Amino acid sequence: MPSIRRSGGAVAFFWQGKMLDPRDEAFAAALQQRRFRTIQDAASEEVSTGWVTAVDPTGDSFAIEDLDAGLATWLRMRIDKKQLPRKWLQIHRDVAEKAKGKKLSAKERRELKDDLMDKLLPRVLPTINMVDALLYHDRRTLILLNTSKSVGESFHQLFFQTFQMPLEKSDPLQLGFQAGLDPETMHKLQRAEPIRWPKSEPSDEPRRRTTLAEQEQHA
Amino acid sequence: MKHEPKTAPSGAETHGFLGEEFLTWIWFRWETEGGEFHLPGGRVVGVALDDFLTFSAPSDDDTEQTLRHGLPTRTEEARTALRQGRRLRRARMIVAEGPRQWSVTVDGASLRLSGAKMPEDAEECESENDRTADRTANWLALHELVQSLYGMFLRERLADGYLKSAGEKQAHWMQQ
Repeated sequence: MPSIRRSGGAVAFFWQGKMLDPRDEAFAAALQQRRFRTIQDAASEEVSTGWVTAVDPTGDSFAIEDLDAGLATWLRMRIDKKQLPRKWLQIHRDVAEKAKGKKLSAKERRELKDDLMDKLLPRVLPTINMVDALLYHDRRTLILLNTSKSVGESFHQLFFQTFQMPLEKSDPLQLGFQAGLDPETMHKLQRAEPIRWPKSEPSDEPRRRTTLAEQEQHA
Repeated sequence: MKHEPKTAPSGAETHGFLGEEFLTWIWFRWETEGGEFHLPGGRVVGVALDDFLTFSAPSDDDTEQTLRHGLPTRTEEARTALRQGRRLRRARMIVAEGPRQWSVTVDGASLRLSGAKMPEDAEECESENDRTADRTANWLALHELVQSLYGMFLRERLADGYLKSAGEKQAHWMQQ
């Protein structure tokens, strides 16, 4: 089994309620239900998203020991994307326009694209993106080792489809809720407003600075 | 006709300023009290700002200001930004607990971590599985340390009388 990486970006997520125990077969079975399915031979532009493991990148097997990462459960989402390379499309369009001696009409451009999709896409290999996440079941915390917004949304969706559990993304409000504050402080957190820190103006005359409390009172 | 937003605003959109105030508070505490934080549970952690700072734009019409390399916290540009009441938008920091040390850039508005570097693998790691378990513990520890520091900041920031006590001290420091 390869080791998880020790650098990069991370976003934390939290969940509420009870979810499957990663040590149970039902957890692996839930991943299997939403396993990754290849689009290697697809003849159209497609995106496929599903679970694999660090040991088996195909999504064929989900042994419980392959998910074990010590304190955490190691989840791996695979995103394959098959797309007609735009440069190929441009080259074929340039050739067609040169042969014709003028620009292609919108209809001709569409027909050229459809024709190229039929011919080229079965030969185009998808791009592959493996995204790792560490699930700390007893802490109801998940750390996604990727900071892309679109990847985060794909992960959120796949996780929900698999475990019927919505994830809450960490941000200054959510992380505050997780920080063990007392109810009164939590209430204040929700209503907090930014502090307007004093701004000093360049001046030769030394003068008394307005205190923070006075400034907030006047605002 | 009343237009309702399609989804509720996230905390990053509504409370992003708190993450920025948190980073600025870390800087204040580091400079004025040495950067040692005593966290709940008896954990002691050292925090220092490193070689990358971005100051948030005061308004949509203003620009963010980024300082990199060397010791940006000691530059005149950084002091000027503080005097203008600017908060830290992003900062690279070094976090140390016992023999373990992390380096990470924290985005204030979202509290997202980027460019994180975990401590070196423990010497006892003999297999890939050992390394994974060690790193998994380190990822969690980094998250928990940031969360604990943030909780410490919130308790101080949201306490009654903050503006007249700790907040006023920070305002004074920012004007120096």
